[in-house]
Amino acid sequence: MKTEFFPVIGLEIHVQLNTLSKLFCPCSTAYIGTVPNTNICPVCLGLPGTLPVLNGKVVEYSVITALALNCRINRATRFHRKNYFYPDLPKAYQISQYDLPVGEDGYIYIRGEGGDMKRIGIIRLHLEEDAGKLVHSAADGRLAGASASYVDYNRAGVPLAEIVSAPDLSSPSEAKEYVSLLRQLVRYLGVSDGDMEKGSMRVDANISVKCSDGRWGDRSEIKNMNSLRALERALSFEIKRQTAILEEGGTVLQETRHWNDSEGRTISSRSKEEAHDYRYFPEPDLPPLFLPEGFVEEMEQTLPEMPWVRKSRFIRDYSLSETDVAVITESPDLADLFERCVREGASSERSANWIRTEVLRVVNERKTSVGDLPLSSHVLAQLLSMIDSGKLSNTAAKEVFDCIIETGAGVEEALKVCNLQSGGISGSQLVEIIRDILEKNSSVVETIRSGEDGNGKKSKFLQGLVMRETRGQADPEEVRMLLQELIES
Amino acid sequence: MSSHGLSASEIARKVRAREFSVTEIVIDSLERIGSLDGTLNAMITIERDRALERAAKLDSALASGEGPGPMTGVPVIVKDNMCTRGIPTTCASRILSDWKPPYNAAVVEDLEKAGAVILGKSNMDEFAMGSSTEHSAYGPCRNPWDTTRVPGGSSGGSAAAVAAGYVPIALGSDTGGSIRQPASLCGIYGLKPTYGLISRYGLIAFASSLDQIGPFARTVEDLALSLNVLARPDRKDSTCSSSERPDYLDFLKVGSLSGKKVGIVREFRDYDLHEDISRGVEKVLRILQNAGAVIEEVSLPVTMTSGLGAYYIIAPAEASSNLARYDGVRYGLSEEAEDLLSLYLKTRKAGFGTEVKRRILTGTYVLSSGYYDAYYLTAQKVRQIITREFTEAFSRVHTLIMPTSPSPAFRIGELVDDPIHMYMMDVFTLPVNLAGLPGLSVNGGYTSEGLPVGVQMVGPRWGEGEILSMAGVLERELGPARIAPGGLADEN
Ligand SMILES: [Zn+2]
Repeated sequence: MKTEFFPVIGLEIHVQLNTLSKLFCPCSTAYIGTVPNTNICPVCLGLPGTLPVLNGKVVEYSVITALALNCRINRATRFHRKNYFYPDLPKAYQISQYDLPVGEDGYIYIRGEGGDMKRIGIIRLHLEEDAGKLVHSAADGRLAGASASYVDYNRAGVPLAEIVSAPDLSSPSEAKEYVSLLRQLVRYLGVSDGDMEKGSMRVDANISVKCSDGRWGDRSEIKNMNSLRALERALSFEIKRQTAILEEGGTVLQETRHWNDSEGRTISSRSKEEAHDYRYFPEPDLPPLFLPEGFVEEMEQTLPEMPWVRKSRFIRDYSLSETDVAVITESPDLADLFERCVREGASSERSANWIRTEVLRVVNERKTSVGDLPLSSHVLAQLLSMIDSGKLSNTAAKEVFDCIIETGAGVEEALKVCNLQSGGISGSQLVEIIRDILEKNSSVVETIRSGEDGNGKKSKFLQGLVMRETRGQADPEEVRMLLQELIES
Repeated sequence: MSSHGLSASEIARKVRAREFSVTEIVIDSLERIGSLDGTLNAMITIERDRALERAAKLDSALASGEGPGPMTGVPVIVKDNMCTRGIPTTCASRILSDWKPPYNAAVVEDLEKAGAVILGKSNMDEFAMGSSTEHSAYGPCRNPWDTTRVPGGSSGGSAAAVAAGYVPIALGSDTGGSIRQPASLCGIYGLKPTYGLISRYGLIAFASSLDQIGPFARTVEDLALSLNVLARPDRKDSTCSSSERPDYLDFLKVGSLSGKKVGIVREFRDYDLHEDISRGVEKVLRILQNAGAVIEEVSLPVTMTSGLGAYYIIAPAEASSNLARYDGVRYGLSEEAEDLLSLYLKTRKAGFGTEVKRRILTGTYVLSSGYYDAYYLTAQKVRQIITREFTEAFSRVHTLIMPTSPSPAFRIGELVDDPIHMYMMDVFTLPVNLAGLPGLSVNGGYTSEGLPVGVQMVGPRWGEGEILSMAGVLERELGPARIAPGGLADEN
């Protein structure tokens, strides 16, 4: 019988929490794009004599996230010191949580490999502080060949929630599904922007391969996967690598491996022999943290509708397709925009359609977020209602939409700017335009009259010309009737 | 007329009454330092110009009718492990020899706000590790009663400065006895408050769960005045109590101790105490008894057998972590090196002295995986038991009386190569840190050689007032602490 191989994957995800200030000092968490070593103070620089002061908002964010992951909340928790030397770590220890994390024993459901919902265990969610960043001066930005290294401490002390999953994931696509869901979740909760490329969500994977003959290889820890695609590729590579070793009867070493995206492979970086002894001990500068009576319940009250709940509600209440709903519920901003449009009178189908296509198009073109567009749900709903009631064609509405995005104008104003009128072009005004077009295309008219437009292509061509001339403000049905009438007369 | 020898309270009163200008006071102090410190080496940094400039400012503020603070005009000295903006703060270590903090410790802010004038930074054992102020990159400090002897440590510089009359008040820090033991060896008052009474913000950490700042003074009133200035809630130190503090001067109005119970610890009989120290303890007990207190025996069995061992696990463990940041990357000493590891190794090898290295090694060892449970965790359990023993004792008595140090000042060099014997110097003081309690060393007389003998008074948590009351009663009998000759033959 042929041996079968089953990947066993667990993920450790660091989520940067977007509180206003850092975990233990008043410095801002918005360090991206700041001049190196300007977003710092004596505390996050770990200057002698300084002391950490816990940011209460971070505790709220972490409890909210742990609750959303169905964790048990530890009302009594505390911080530990994780000791190791590295230039990006100002105090030479990281303040982290060890034996009493904020949350433990949670779970989340993902769409599993077979299509069924699959429960993924959450072992723990704990708080810790981020480190600074090393900048190497070699041309390729890497350590090898660098002549000097610099440290930027702007990121030091930014709050992180580390979310450790159980080894319940059994394929790269499940891992991707899980990370996407977590990303969506933190965005819904408003606790992080969950951006893997910017490093506000960092994923490390523990992966091993189990054989049907009972053998089980040691796990390797994969780091440096900076996108969902990198995660999928790295895990696929690692499964192949470990499987090949086991197939040949070899042993997989327990080690840390770095994903090299350009080479498409993982590279061993630290063997077990060099494993750190972090000498954890309780942080004496911070008293144990006791969440006050009623605090957890209060946080529970602030939980928004979970993305998966919202998704099934949209499918049920708005009779939309699952694909449509998946797109519009991806971010809470999109989903909110959709619901407000519908509430203000636009049809759900058209709202969903427009958000999927037009709104996301401009978001992508402008590399911005929905919230930053100069577009209120009120304006969008007004525009979509005009299409719904036939006052504006879809094509014309797109032009108006672009104008709104461009200028931030309201619908009425944008209509004027685009030289369009609501209510459309019809009757004698439309007859004028059609006559004009027929005159300019007399040969086509002749062809139709002679009965040689069997498949109706020529008529459609003329119809298109009219629609273009009227910039979509005419009712297509009226155009078709008038064309027929005028050609035949 | 010189202001030399006045207490802080007297100086503040005389400045307020315009009997002295702040500048006169500061010049007198600087002169005293100038004539003695060549011998005593109590100071690492003397900020003469800065102090005179500040004195002039305070004088003109007073002249323009600005209301004085509780310490206006009082010259003070701060131990060199408390951050002073723009002024070197070295911890008596080579590794921080060039370091000027960009910020002030909370206590420095408080002193200045109260009108005090900081004259400089005092000598100490490197990173506050030691009991003799010999482990200093700036050379040993000398005892102003006998300059061949140590002043105690680690706050030996501050103790010597107050004893020799440089200033009426100096700040020290106490992790296992570093205020009380040098106060005892220098014949003055040294108070280690309850853990969390005074902000540690800006105190360069040795062992965070044990460190506490406190004052040295020659009068009880000056201790109370210091607490009034320094004891307050501070949001920058999460281990500092957020409760309001009383007016400590109120506790000095107590005349009788009737109804008060004073405990003596049975287990001290097991120690080989210097005869004059036992006599000092007896004398103090007699005075308290005469004032109406009842003496009762209490027992602290685990404290006295296991306190030292627990302390020398917990303190080095925290120190090994606290001192890891001195790596040559950001500030302080940084040795030329080829790569990262050798930068760490060379910098730390050159920067730290022997005693500091010894404790970093011990601390690293006891926290290592496989040893953590046997050492660190066990020590924490012992610490809890010690805390319980004290709590139990304080359910029966108001204060405890015990020796501060098992011996008076020893000779420079005598114990420097005998760390275990040196650690024994703290055997009566460090349990008080483990339990986070307030402890005060008062002078209980002198040996036949003229060396001061200290007696320790320990109170329950937040029991500073109780201790000050009793110390006030003692002082009325014994008088304020005497000023030491400081190596000058013509005095005393
Ligand atoms: Zn900061």
